[in-house]
Amino acid sequence: MTIQQLLFYGIATIVVASAAAVVLLRNPVRCALFLVLAFVASAGLWLMAQAEFLALILILVYVGAVMTLFLFVVMMLNIDMATKARSVRAYLPWVLIIVGALLGLFYLATGQGHMAFPQFTDVIWHGPTYSNTKALGEVLYTQYAYPFELAAVLLLIAIIAAISLAHRPTRQARKQDVRRQIQTKRDDCVRVVKMAPEKE
Amino acid sequence: MNELATLCLAIVLLPLAGSIIAGFFGQAIGRTWSHRVTIGLVAAAFLVSLWIAKLVFMGGMSFNGNIYTWASGGSVFPYAFHIGFLVDPLTAVMLMVVTFVSWLVHIYSIGYMVDDDGYQRFFSYISLFTFAMLMLVSANNFLQLFFGWEGVGLVSYLLIGFWFKRESAIAGGLKAFLVNRVGDFGLILGLAVILSYTGSLSYQDVFKQAPTLANTLITIIPGQSWSVVTVACILLFIGAMGKSAQVPLHVWLPESMEGPTPISALIHAATMVTAGVFMVARMSPLYEYSNTALSMVTIIGATGALFTGILALVMFDIKRVVAYSTLSQLGYMMVAMGVSAYPVGMFHLATHACFKALLFLAAGSVIIAMHHEQDMRKMGGLYKYMPITYVSSLIGTLALCALPPFAGFYSKDAIIEAAHFSSITGAHYAYWCVLIGAFVTAVYSFRAFFMTFHGEPRMDEKTRSHLRESPWVVTLPLVVLAIPSVIMGFLLAKPMLYAEPTVFGNAIFIAKSHTVMTSLTEEFHGVWAAIIHGMMTPTFWLVIAGIIVATICYVVKPGLPAMFAERFSVLYRILVNKYGFDEFNDKVIIRGTKAIGQGLFTVGDRIVIDGLVVNGSAWSVRAAALQARLGQTGYIFHYAMVMVVSLIALLSWLILG
Amino acid sequence: MIPITSYLVIGALLFGLGLVGIVINRKNVILLLMCVELLLLAVNTNFIAFTHFWGHVTGEVFVFFILTVAAAEAAIGLAIVMLWFRHRASIDVDEMNLLKG
Repeated sequence: MTIQQLLFYGIATIVVASAAAVVLLRNPVRCALFLVLAFVASAGLWLMAQAEFLALILILVYVGAVMTLFLFVVMMLNIDMATKARSVRAYLPWVLIIVGALLGLFYLATGQGHMAFPQFTDVIWHGPTYSNTKALGEVLYTQYAYPFELAAVLLLIAIIAAISLAHRPTRQARKQDVRRQIQTKRDDCVRVVKMAPEKE
Repeated sequence: MNELATLCLAIVLLPLAGSIIAGFFGQAIGRTWSHRVTIGLVAAAFLVSLWIAKLVFMGGMSFNGNIYTWASGGSVFPYAFHIGFLVDPLTAVMLMVVTFVSWLVHIYSIGYMVDDDGYQRFFSYISLFTFAMLMLVSANNFLQLFFGWEGVGLVSYLLIGFWFKRESAIAGGLKAFLVNRVGDFGLILGLAVILSYTGSLSYQDVFKQAPTLANTLITIIPGQSWSVVTVACILLFIGAMGKSAQVPLHVWLPESMEGPTPISALIHAATMVTAGVFMVARMSPLYEYSNTALSMVTIIGATGALFTGILALVMFDIKRVVAYSTLSQLGYMMVAMGVSAYPVGMFHLATHACFKALLFLAAGSVIIAMHHEQDMRKMGGLYKYMPITYVSSLIGTLALCALPPFAGFYSKDAIIEAAHFSSITGAHYAYWCVLIGAFVTAVYSFRAFFMTFHGEPRMDEKTRSHLRESPWVVTLPLVVLAIPSVIMGFLLAKPMLYAEPTVFGNAIFIAKSHTVMTSLTEEFHGVWAAIIHGMMTPTFWLVIAGIIVATICYVVKPGLPAMFAERFSVLYRILVNKYGFDEFNDKVIIRGTKAIGQGLFTVGDRIVIDGLVVNGSAWSVRAAALQARLGQTGYIFHYAMVMVVSLIALLSWLILG
Repeated sequence: MIPITSYLVIGALLFGLGLVGIVINRKNVILLLMCVELLLLAVNTNFIAFTHFWGHVTGEVFVFFILTVAAAEAAIGLAIVMLWFRHRASIDVDEMNLLKG
């Protein structure tokens, strides 16, 4: 067991465990925080795969922005925890079936007869002068320039959509118009009416 | 040759011109000019027909050609339709008969329709009829024949319903048209058979192919195959049954008496009803190859000849009697055609045209004098008041009874002898029918004669004081028609029937195996000898017996018929109901068709089409949608599950498949 | 070294856990969105693994775009949740069945 393997499997354990915690815990704030942990740990995994740019982007964008947003919403909505009884027992069979099916498929796909992945052990290991950022940038601004621009537009649309969805117009405050206030006359506001006196 | 074509074109177009002028401009030019124009043009047509006759009979010319190509399809529909004329002896005879009777009826109508509002319309219609009939007889292809056929049917409908404000006239016109239509259905099918098997509708092409067609078989009902010629001839004869009022499509002719008498004379005695007879004669090259069709013609003709004649014994309307007499004589003509004695049939057609038109016009003269009273029970003793009508009526009746030497004798006796000589199936039955029919003819014709002109006057005093002879425009045609009724047989029997060759020449084709005409010719020894010989046949004595019976019943002892009616009341009632043909048509055919229509409407339309198909498809869509919408539960969990399951299925298929 | 299968197994486990979370979660729609993020994380890990083994950066480009889209989607999804909460005062998933057919 090299250090690399130890590190890898340790971080992997953290990732899976926190993902499980997200699913199983009741308190939504804690679920969100465990999700943050999962993201951070998987960023570590990605670092080990020599994708350092993306790993850091994961932390900055995902954890820093998206999960923060999640936490804001969770806290704003002020959820009553007592009503959150989850019936895990009822859906256990479904769960087992799904997971079992997926794992089975996975095994079939990558097992000996099909794509023969276990043979793949040669990793393309880049040298110390390798800059993932540079490599990504070389491709992103040349070959994938159009998708890049489109992604920017998509983010713009998301901003506009989110704002227009959640925006509440400010209440119309009543403003004072001093000129009109001075110009009022008594006859506009008061009217004298003759009434017969009440009899006893 | 072109001379004949031009003449034929002229003879066809002259009455058409008259019809158009009287029809569209009749109100503008007034009554007198309307009748002058139409009569002048029809007279011109008659003169042209005489000229054509001279060219054909004396000069031996004939013409068969197309004047104008009306339509021709290319490769999609490889048939061509032309307008053309065939002028040969048969045509020439018919042209003369048609134009002659039409001319006389035109003149007669001046007197008959004098106080009618639709005067110009009447003349326009009878000229139009003349045009259509002339197109029919001069046609050289089946399509033109059909055009003329339909044209005469249309004008007949228009004229029967001429007094359209009368309910019975409209009904009569519709009945005539519809029954004709039933016959025309058969005719169209016959045309279709001919067109599909010969590729052409022209007479020349069809007749040339007749021998080969006789051997070609066609299977209509599986297991039964008939020769093409037989099928075509039977179908064509169904058309003739409708037009020439053979049993069972004869029911329209008595009701057609609702029209004015001149047209009864023109259309329903002399010309339109003889179109079927003419057609069979014209198609003799086809009919001779099919003994089955000939037998059918004979049997149906004979049945009509006898049984419709018997019906004339119980009718009281003078026009109905003459109508049933026409039905009977048409049967005689068809019998002649059926036994392959075509010239005899055509000769009877010509003589019958003369004396039957005469009888109708005389009846019309009586009706005018009696102020449009038609019931013979209210007539009697008219001979004192209307001598010319009386004499011409007597001549017509004698001709009808076939007493020598009048015209009817030569033609009718020849038919009876021809039936006797023939050996095809049904000829024996036909012989007995026409023989007994001679007796019946004598009885009913003299019955009508005596009831109308002899005996005690039975009309009321007011009518009797107004009785006088009809104006000259009415009696002139009577006299003119009486002349050929007397001498036509005498003069024309030999050339038309017995000469070798007959004037018809190549127009009529008789197969070698049908020897009726040759037997008749052998028996003929000259017109005088024929009279002597005729007095020795059973026919003659039957006719005399019939006259005696009529005299006894209606002159000597007028109470006798009433006693007979009471004794044989069942038989009498059958006869009065015309053998139940009208009831049958009404109850079975009309009600049956209505019931089928009703059934199709309620079941077919409402239940099947509206309910099942239209509403049903909408309902089934709705039902399916109602079921499908249960899948949209709204629960995200369900949607997620569906997505997951589909994902797993897709992956399984990709990996395992 | 670490075989690729390990990365793929991690990805599969994360994906499965995400699915399970969607299925058994009934009371909290925000949790649902978080499980969707888990799914996306699993896919991203897969892509990174393959990039590492094939050598060219196409996989990472894809991850880049997935991150972008995931961020946008999370934002809008949370906006919708908030609107729903304003009107219904509840984030119970079982109560969100207004699209019932």
